[in-house]
Amino acid sequence: MQLKRPASPLHLSLMAASCALLSDTARAQAAPGAAEQPLQIDADLLYYKENAGRVQTIEPVVSLKKDFGDQRLLDGTLTLDTLSGATPNGAIPARTAQTFASPSSTSLTPKPGYKTTLYTIAPGDLPQDPHFKESRVAGDLDWSQPIGLDNTLSYGGHASTEHDFDSVAAHAGLSHDFNEKNTTLSAGINEEFDRIHAHGGNPVPGSDYALYEKEPSQTKNITGGLIGVAQVLRRNWLTELNYTFDHSKGYLTDPYRIISVVDDTGAVTGYRYENRPDTRTRQSLYWVNKVALGPTVLDLSYRRSKDSWGIGSDTVDAKLRIDLGTGMYLEPHARWYHQSAADFYNLYLIETGPAPTYMSADPRLAVFAATTFGLKFGIATSHNGELSLRLEQYAQKPSDQSSSLPGLQGLDLNPNLKAIIVQLGWHLVY
Amino acid sequence: MRIQSFVRLAILLSLMLGACGCTALGVKPWQREILARPAMALNVEPIDAAIDDHIYFSKEAASGGRSFGGGGCGCN
Amino acid sequence: MPREGGIVAVCFVAMASPCELLLETADAQAAHEMGRVAAQEAWRIESKYSRYRPESIVSVINRSHGHAVVVDGETAALLDYAAQCHALSQGRFDITSGVLRRCWRFDGSDRLPEPTAVAALLPLIGFEKVRWQAPRITLPTGMEIDLGGIGKEYAVDRVLALVAARFTAAALVNFGGDLAANRAPGTGPWQVGVERPGTEREPRLLLELSRGGLATSGDTHRFLLRDGVRYGHILDPRSGWPVRDTPRSVTVAAASCVEAGILATFAMLQGGGAESFLEEQGVRHWCLR
Repeated sequence: MQLKRPASPLHLSLMAASCALLSDTARAQAAPGAAEQPLQIDADLLYYKENAGRVQTIEPVVSLKKDFGDQRLLDGTLTLDTLSGATPNGAIPARTAQTFASPSSTSLTPKPGYKTTLYTIAPGDLPQDPHFKESRVAGDLDWSQPIGLDNTLSYGGHASTEHDFDSVAAHAGLSHDFNEKNTTLSAGINEEFDRIHAHGGNPVPGSDYALYEKEPSQTKNITGGLIGVAQVLRRNWLTELNYTFDHSKGYLTDPYRIISVVDDTGAVTGYRYENRPDTRTRQSLYWVNKVALGPTVLDLSYRRSKDSWGIGSDTVDAKLRIDLGTGMYLEPHARWYHQSAADFYNLYLIETGPAPTYMSADPRLAVFAATTFGLKFGIATSHNGELSLRLEQYAQKPSDQSSSLPGLQGLDLNPNLKAIIVQLGWHLVY
Repeated sequence: MRIQSFVRLAILLSLMLGACGCTALGVKPWQREILARPAMALNVEPIDAAIDDHIYFSKEAASGGRSFGGGGCGCN
Repeated sequence: MPREGGIVAVCFVAMASPCELLLETADAQAAHEMGRVAAQEAWRIESKYSRYRPESIVSVINRSHGHAVVVDGETAALLDYAAQCHALSQGRFDITSGVLRRCWRFDGSDRLPEPTAVAALLPLIGFEKVRWQAPRITLPTGMEIDLGGIGKEYAVDRVLALVAARFTAAALVNFGGDLAANRAPGTGPWQVGVERPGTEREPRLLLELSRGGLATSGDTHRFLLRDGVRYGHILDPRSGWPVRDTPRSVTVAAASCVEAGILATFAMLQGGGAESFLEEQGVRHWCLR
């Protein structure tokens, strides 16, 4: 033991400083229990435009996130969607002019009580309904909170409405951390209920376009589940694997899509409304990696999907977040997607062949490859905020674009799609 | 059946990753400073992801996979 | 987990350390409740100040890219304390020195960083470059703060105060070797064993503590060895290079854990002059070379 000396001036100063730090006034100002975090606000504006006069969307999104302390989070999002432009109706171009009703669910033959607008497509042009207009409002509310030390419970709901479609959905999930929070297991379920009431009434699926057979509004139901595992592999590498499945039941047909019927020379003889099976089961395996390479972060993911309609798809997505310093970043993005066609997909039907039960000429069910190339730029602003601009180009190239039938020679039956995506974002912590 | 082999692949990969958890793969709590960066979070840009999911849902046959919880829209 | 002599110990893990709260009581229920209070407070402080947590105020400040961040009363008190210690140590104690971690890796090898790499980081170090005027802190872009040097000791004192306010028993809080007690149990002073791993002589220091704080600063595990010269991990922020001739271990007893901790840290920063520094301050101390 040493002889105790009187405290030096330095020691006295340190004693005073330590006392001040531990004093009651400082303690009183610290909230007992966890501190409440401020409010996070996100406001984004999306502009999406396809080529050849096709669909255009303007979509503002506002999101608020509040932490009530202890990692209890409430997240609310409001989305408005206005679509306009021409949308393909599923029929193929022909050598002669073609006339359709707008929207497709109304009839060529005017009927009392129904408004019918007709439009004519020039020979060789892709049939597109030029009067397409739709507005949609969607709201989401989600809550998540810890349960004990290592678990998180989350649940939430969604509701959306547009003129011809309403949807409500609810989801719940649980995740468990272990292995010093290096491993996280998650599981969740999702239930969705939709009502489809097309403009002019739902057409009877598979019926003749000219006959105008209607049925009452229809519903569909989707039940889904997810299990996932996230694992820290290294100090700079996080990986996650998710398996999801969903089962849809009900009216899965697109009420506005028709399919051309041609004779064996390729001349158009009529149209039918499409008809899809009333069940669809989908499975997906999604694998994502986050790797930090110095100040740059790479996000690399792969997804394989299969469904009971015969569609298999592969998606590879890569994003590189490059920190430019002083709060600015650049994020190039590349995505490659490929899908096979649904069993019942056809560019058109040949009238002399057997009449199939299910049929669709929807290009979204065809074989195609799609690429996305984009760049995002972000800059930090006051209040821990951020302003960002994202510019992307999406291109879809279908495999089947032509026919060997003499009447359809030289026609592009399923043209390539190109679209630009512009998104302005503002993030604020208040 | 095709879906069965898919499920088997999914379970195998999950077990592999889960097993990684059991063999002390990972980092100590004081080695998490890189993982703490916001850019390293799996859901770092949730609105961008939601917007992309909506665009690809209306233009492609496959959808989601990351998580779910969103509702539908009349676009597919 | 009762110990002999009517002392109950409640254990938990916080701040990457084994933590325990010792209470002189026969009421196991009350002890469990106090343990819960202690753990919650430790986790609260860890979640709020750890630079390994993205939601902590330290991480928020380190991501502010030159913009001002408004902090609450508790954080302001910690920043005031860091500012005073910076001044009292003539710049040797500096919470902005963490960026040196980018070129110094103390893995026991002989790999020293390039002097140019170290010199390149010096413009990003220096608490005098930080604009701190309560409640706003503005860190120039590229700079970082790290409260790891005072966080654990602060948590020990806070937990002890919280427990003492609710429970009259004699209590001792021990977070992995940094500890504080409010008074001695009826059976006599707390018997404390201070582990000093890696030292051949006196690996376990036994001392008595009635009240106050005890903190140990050690240099045994993390070092670099090149050409027979040992480079300990205590860095001098003014040069970017390790402090020379630091003791292997410094243990200080003072009125609080925070005070003991800062004195132990200041002593280590004196390097060869650690013992004489502590002699001058008139505190109970144990140094090992």
